[in-house]
Parts: sequence; C-alpha cells; structure tokens
Amino acid sequence: MSKKQSQTNSIAKTKRDFLKYIFGGGIIALISSVLYPIFSYLKPPKQREVEVKNVKVGKLSEIENDSGQIIRFGNKPVIVVRTSSGDVRAFAATCTHLDCTVQFKKELGVIWCACHNGKYDLNGRNISGPPPKPLDEFRVIIKNEEVFVSKKI
Amino acid sequence: MKKYFKNIYSWIDERVELEEVVKFMGKKYVPVHSHTIWYYFGGVSLFLFIIQVFTGILLLLYYKAGEELAFESIQFIMSKVQFGWLIRSIHSWAANLFILALFIHMFSVYFEKSYRKPREITWLTGMLMLFIAFAFGFSGYLLPWNELAFFATKVGTDIAGVVPFIGDSIMIFLRGGEDVTGATLTRFFGFHVAILPGIFTLILAIHLLLVQRQGMSEPMGYENTKIAERKTMPFFPNFILRDLLLWLIVLNVLAILAVFFPWELGRKADAFASAPAGIQPEWYFLFMFQTLKYIPPQILFIDGEVFGIMMFAVAGGVWMMVPFWDRKSSRGEANRLVNYIGLFAILYIIVFTIIGWLV
Amino acid sequence: MKNLFLFIFILFFSFSISFSESSDKCFECHQSLGDKQSELFVKDIHFQKGISCADCHGGNSQSEDIDEAMNKKSGYIGIPKGDAISKTCAKCHSGTKMSSKYKSALPINQLEKLETSVHGKIATSGKEHIAQCVTCHNSHGIVSVKNPASPVHPLKVVKTCTKCHADASFMKTYNPSLAIDQLEKYRTSLHGKKNIKGDVKAAECVSCHGSHEIQNAKDIRSSVYPTNLPQTCAKCHSDKDYMKEYKIPTDQYSEFSKSIHGVTLLKKKDFGAPACNDCHGNHGATPPGISSISKVCGSCHALNAELFSASPHKKAFDEKEFPECETCHGNHGVVDATDQLLGINQGSVCIKCHQENKFPKGYATAKIFRSIIDSLEKVSKEAILYVEEAEQKGMEISEAKFKLREAHQSRMEARTMIHSFNNEKFLEVTKKGFDVSEFIRLEAANAVEEFYYRRWGLGVSSLIITIVAFSLFVYIRRIERK
Repeated sequence: MSKKQSQTNSIAKTKRDFLKYIFGGGIIALISSVLYPIFSYLKPPKQREVEVKNVKVGKLSEIENDSGQIIRFGNKPVIVVRTSSGDVRAFAATCTHLDCTVQFKKELGVIWCACHNGKYDLNGRNISGPPPKPLDEFRVIIKNEEVFVSKKI
Repeated sequence: MKKYFKNIYSWIDERVELEEVVKFMGKKYVPVHSHTIWYYFGGVSLFLFIIQVFTGILLLLYYKAGEELAFESIQFIMSKVQFGWLIRSIHSWAANLFILALFIHMFSVYFEKSYRKPREITWLTGMLMLFIAFAFGFSGYLLPWNELAFFATKVGTDIAGVVPFIGDSIMIFLRGGEDVTGATLTRFFGFHVAILPGIFTLILAIHLLLVQRQGMSEPMGYENTKIAERKTMPFFPNFILRDLLLWLIVLNVLAILAVFFPWELGRKADAFASAPAGIQPEWYFLFMFQTLKYIPPQILFIDGEVFGIMMFAVAGGVWMMVPFWDRKSSRGEANRLVNYIGLFAILYIIVFTIIGWLV
Repeated sequence: MKNLFLFIFILFFSFSISFSESSDKCFECHQSLGDKQSELFVKDIHFQKGISCADCHGGNSQSEDIDEAMNKKSGYIGIPKGDAISKTCAKCHSGTKMSSKYKSALPINQLEKLETSVHGKIATSGKEHIAQCVTCHNSHGIVSVKNPASPVHPLKVVKTCTKCHADASFMKTYNPSLAIDQLEKYRTSLHGKKNIKGDVKAAECVSCHGSHEIQNAKDIRSSVYPTNLPQTCAKCHSDKDYMKEYKIPTDQYSEFSKSIHGVTLLKKKDFGAPACNDCHGNHGATPPGISSISKVCGSCHALNAELFSASPHKKAFDEKEFPECETCHGNHGVVDATDQLLGINQGSVCIKCHQENKFPKGYATAKIFRSIIDSLEKVSKEAILYVEEAEQKGMEISEAKFKLREAHQSRMEARTMIHSFNNEKFLEVTKKGFDVSEFIRLEAANAVEEFYYRRWGLGVSSLIITIVAFSLFVYIRRIERK
C-alpha cells in the first residue's frame, strides 16, 4: 500500500471508529431514555391512590356520639355525622342552596350551613332556610370496627 | 466485546443449532425497486403492535377495570404516576397509528397483488389481523369508561345487534347483558388484554413465518426485468437496519404526539345522562358509520341498517377472498378490475371518513 | 181628645206618604211592621238615594198588595242566598247604570275582583263563594266606606275581618295553618295603636291586603307577596305629604331597593333576602329595638350575630344606645359588605369611632384585620392564577382545584370572624386560608414545571433519537457502498 492509500485508510478508519462511538453512544442514550421513564413509571407514586370507591373515616370508637366531621371523598366534601343514638350517617357536604360547605351543629342537633342559615335534619332533609333540596346520602360501611364511606346510595 | 457475543452465540448454537437459522436468514434478499418503500409498512405495523403490547402491559399495572374505578385509575395514571401521562398517551396514539399503518400495508399489498399464489394464506391471516385490530380498538376505547366511549359502545353494539337471527345473541354476548354496564367493561377488558392478544399473536406468528419462508413478494412484471439489472439487498442487516431507522422516526413521532397532543380523558360515563351531542366512533369506523346514516330506513323488505351491515359484510368478504377470484394476477396478468375496485375502496373510505368528520 | 190626636196623626201619616218622592210601598209596609231591616235601611245610603227594596229583592214596589208586590212574576226573588246576593249587588254596582244615573265615581269591578280573589273560592258548603258583598258591607245599613258607621271604615274594618279570621274553628275548616292572632299582634304594632286611637291614616287590614282583590299571601299576585310587599308599604311610607305629621323618614323604600337585600329580592327574585315584614314583623309591625337589632339580623346572619353578641362591641353599643348591626351596615340601605368597610382607610366604618388616639386598641385591630384580609385575598388570587395556568397547559390539577374551595371558604369565614373582633380567632381562621393557598400554589407551580419538563424531555430524547437515526443512516450508507 502506498503512503497516500494508508493515510486515506487511517482517516477512513478514524471516521468509522468515530461513527461507531456516536452510534454506540447514541444507542445507549436511546435505551436509557426509553428505560428511564419505564422504571420511574414502575415505581408506585408517593401519594396514596385517590380512592374514590371507599374512603376510610377512622375507627368507630373514635367517632363520638352527637358529632360530625367533614372528609374528602374524591373531589367532594362529605359530612359524616354520628347521632346521639350511635347511628353513623354520611351526606354530601355541599349545601344545595349556593354550594357552601355545611357543618354539624351539636346544640341544635342539625346539619347547618353558615352562609344563609340553612338547616338539614340528620337524615339530610332540608328543614329550614333557603336550601331547596335535601343532601345526597352516601353509604356508610362499618367493617372490623372501622368506618368507611362509599358511593352515593 | 465481540468475543463475548461470539462465546454466547456458540454456547447457544451448540445446544439449538442456531447456525442453520442464521445461514437461512443471511441468504434472504429483498428486491430493490421503485416500489420497495411499501415493504416497510409491515414492519412499521409490527413495531406499533409491539409498542402497544409494552405500553399496554405497563398500563395494566395501574389500571383498574370496573365501573367505579376505571376512570379514576386513568386519572391517577395521567396525574400521579410518574410518566404515566406518557405511557397512556403513547398507547392511545399508537393505537391509531397502528390501524393507519395496517391500512397502508393492506392497500399496498393489494395494489401490488402480493396476495397471489403462493401468498394467499399470508393475505388471509393479514385480513384476520386487521379485523382483530378493529376489535382491539373498539374494546380498548371503552376501557377509560368515559362519556364518549360509553355511548360509542352503546351505538356500536346496537349496530351489531341488528344482524338478522344471531344479532341479539351477539349483542348480549358483547355487552355481557342487555345494556352497556360495568359487566360490558369487564368483558371488553378481558377481550382486550387476554383473548385478542392471544389470538392475534398466533395469527401474527403464522403471518411472519410465512413471510420469512416465502420472502418478499416481487411486483408484477418483475420477471421481465433482466436478471443482471435486478437489485437486491440482504434482509439482514440492510433491510432490518432500514426498517429500524423508520421505527426510530415513528418512535419520535409518537413522543411528539404524546407531549403536544396528550390524549384526553373527558367526563366519567353516566348511564343516566343523555348522550352528548356529536357521538362518533373512532375514525376507522367512521366511513361505515356515515354510510349507515345515508341508507334509507327500508330497502325492499329489508331494514335499512341490516342492509348496510350485510353490505359491508359482503364487501369485506369479497375483499378478503381476492386471492381466489383474481385469477388473472396468479397468471401474471395485469388486472385492471382489481385496481379499480381498490381505488374505489380507498376513495370511498377517505371521502366518507371526511364527511363523517365534518358532519 | 184622643180621637183628635189619632186623626191628626193619620193625616200626617198619609201626608208624609203622599209626599214621599218614590213611593216605596215595600219599605212603608215593613216599617209599619217595625222590622229590623227597615230600621237599618233608613240609615242606608241606598235609601237616601231613593233606591227601593224591590231594586234588590225584586217585585213591585208600587203595589200595596202583598201578593202583587212580592210576586215572582214581577221579579220578586225573596231573600237572595249565596252567590245570588253578590249578583244582586252587581246588577247595579258592576254596570255603568250607577255612574250615569247617580253620578257616582265608585269602581264597578268589585265582584269581578272578588271572584278571582281568595275569598271568591268555593266555600266548604260547596254552593257559594266564601264571601259575599254583604259579608263585609252588611245588608241593610250600608254606608259609604268613608262613613265611620261603615263596617269597612278604617277604624272598624279590623273588627270586620277578625269576625272570621280570629275564629279558630271557622278558619280551621279552610286553612288550619293560617294564623288567627293577627288582631292581637296588630294591637301591639304602631299601626294598631294609632288605629285604636282613631287615626284613619294608619294602616289597617285593607291598606296592605287590599279589599276585593285579596289573594293568599303566598300567591304571587298578592300585594303582600314578598316581591310586592315593599311597594305596598311604600304606598304610604314613601309619601312625604302623607307621612308629614309622623315625622319619620320616607326614604326607606328607595334605600331598600338600592340595598343588597332589595336588589336580591326585587331584581333577582331570591327569597333568601328579607322584605319589610321579615325584619319589622307584619301584623305586629314595629322597628326592632336597639338591643335586639342583632337578634333580628341574626335570624339569617346567625353566625355574625352570635360572634357580635359575644364581642366587646355588644356591651359598648348597648351602653351608648348604638343600634348594633345598623351602626356599621346601615338599616334599609344595607350595602354589599366589601373589604372597604374594614380597616383604617377612608370609607371604613371602624374609624367612625376608633382612631389612633381614641379607642386605639380597636384602631390597631382594624388595621391588622384589614391588612391580613388583603394579603389573604392576594395570596388566594395568585393561587387561582397558577391553577388556571396549569389547567390551560393541560396539566391534571383536580386536587388543587378542590382545595380552592377551602381557600374560598376560609376567606368567607374570615369575614364572618371579624364580628368577634378577637385577634386570636381571626388569625386561626385566616391561617387555614394562607396554608391552603400555599399548598395550591405549590401544586400548581409543580404542574407548570412538569409541563416545561416534558417539553425539555421531549427535546432531549428527540435529539438522541436523531443522533442514533442519523448515525444509523450513515452506517447503512456505508455498508451499502461496499
């Protein structure tokens, strides 16, 4: 081989090697950029899943008689009341008048809306004030001394 | 590096006689001519199917089938799972690209008359896979359990129920009951992730085996080219690498679509709500849907819808049987009729899809 | 002698009869019989106008013969019963006969109105309307409404109405839930007190409820239906001349209709807002007393009233005889409470009493309250903007959106908590708002960041793919060249 030929050969060889490196590196980068999202995906997210079927309220023994509390059910507020006789009930906590969030009024034994003094009895029925409709009822399930609220009845 | 690959290779070869297969693969050549580009679409379809299987499996890890949770689980995937948005959007986009690629593949094979002897079975398996792909699309569409899907399924299964005699049984079988309910969702889920993939894979295996066995079909009149002028390229590595290049581009397209046009979720299905305006099936059903709308309610003594469905069934059947009634192509003669029918089919599909989209 | 007197008496008698203009033989005969109706009829305006018995009862008023006079053939109808009574009155009172013959300016649609009114409904007997003309106007001693002897004169009409409306066993048969204590309540009201002292200008039943056209108070046509009531009260209370001697303002209606209560009730037809009677009472109408104003306002604005009553302002206001809620919010012209009312700026109500050197504790509190509310507003608005941006970019942000409710709720609660005038409680409530707004802002900011991260990620991976594809392309070219 002449000197010129060997020179072109070596230049070609460097080109080939360069290409090989680019290609190889590129392939590795490609595989990583495919595998990275997949592995991140496989890791379960930190936040607990938005369980919209069942929301745990807590232990039955921790819910006092004659009390009420607001919990989050998916994207909606739900009021969980326990009557003086120990009955646990749950209703949508959005007032049917103008959508304020209602609360439990122990002194009156009713569910009360602070915005315009609307009142609902402990069966969710609108009994006084502007609310035009009763509160939607949710299902209360008590399993193993734990209280769950599930989809509307 | 190379030594390690060689060692692994010989280890396997000593046990499985890989060398024969490799020799066979190395001898395969792909004809190079002006129509070569169409050869790649089978591979593109395959690539998209593989993408579907992978993203589908990943989605399976977080998706919850069942009407209380399906919608929310997808919401969860889109918002809380890392890269969940990417996996889901790719899955939805790839489904559509998959069917598009299948159409291109099918029509290119049709116009090339590649279905002629000895490739009749390849064509038949291909057509079967197309129908299964439609079933994949139809069943998968319901899985998010959103408003659009719910009503589209209702309408779609209603149409299935119109088939004479067995229509009702088909509809009840599909719906898992009289109406579209959570049972339908469960059933469609079973179809989509287990039954259809199983059947499809089997048929795909036969299809690929046949292609490997018989090699790429040559265009009509290729025998007239002088042997010296016939150009080919080795299947391995040239054709494979080129196919790979195309696959990379498709992958990039999918990523761009997923980021700039994320797939919507819409509103959760409510059986008691009225159907929102403008219910449409997915685009690949649109031409049939639109045709049905134009058929008069009664044709002679037959109900209009039944007539329409029967018409499509017959058309599909005729199309599927083309290797058997196109005698001319098996003899190597040009068949203008086949071309005209094919052209008509393409135009019909395109025009009616556009009309269906605009209406 | 006795005979002479008898002769002269009979002479006089026949003279008076022959001199009577229209010889109403019915009346003459019945009067000679000494019956009650003719006794009453003498004072009747119909009698004074020369209308005879036969004009209502039918028959021949010129004949002295009972069979001729009270003959069905001559139109005699006897004592009309039920609806026939009103039809009899309507014979003249609903036609143009009256205005032309008697030059009367009286209305002629009373029966029409009565029949469509609540009293025009079918009575429990099923045979007639509940009320006939004579039910309120009497039958034989009818006088003009302006005549103090009339049972529907302003000073007497109350008794007439309560004849039925205070009778529990009667009202029970029509509407057991209808109150029967209107008179009792009325007598405690300013209107009632003036009425019993003989003031004909003071409102009585007819002034508000109407006379012939009375509708059930729940009927939208009723003059006391909530959306009509303010105008009914304004009929007198906005009339400067009418109210001159009472020396009270006459701007209540105009103020009310501009107020948030007025606009809500009259324009938006929202019955959550009060009409005059909701604060003043209806039959027992009296403006609420100084120390009971917050209780009256508190019947709807319960929480604010409760907080106020427990605050140091209650004692201070009652001592100084400041009318509680009204002092800051006004009475009839209650405006929509905005943040401007709070604080130490121009237009706030706090600085009316509190200045830097006068009641400084309140001044400081007002300043703090206002600045906190302002910053809570600002923070919440920012959070909303962030959420909107994230949403617009198509990011999933439903949890943060849900929390926006909480931020809104906290702002509402803060404005209510002002009425406690207690720093601790106020800060507690506003802290919730600040915390949740911060959470929302973070979530939304993260979502927006994620949006940009995705595009960056796409750019990087596209670059990688392009590099690989390009080098693959070059490689293919190379091996094909060989």
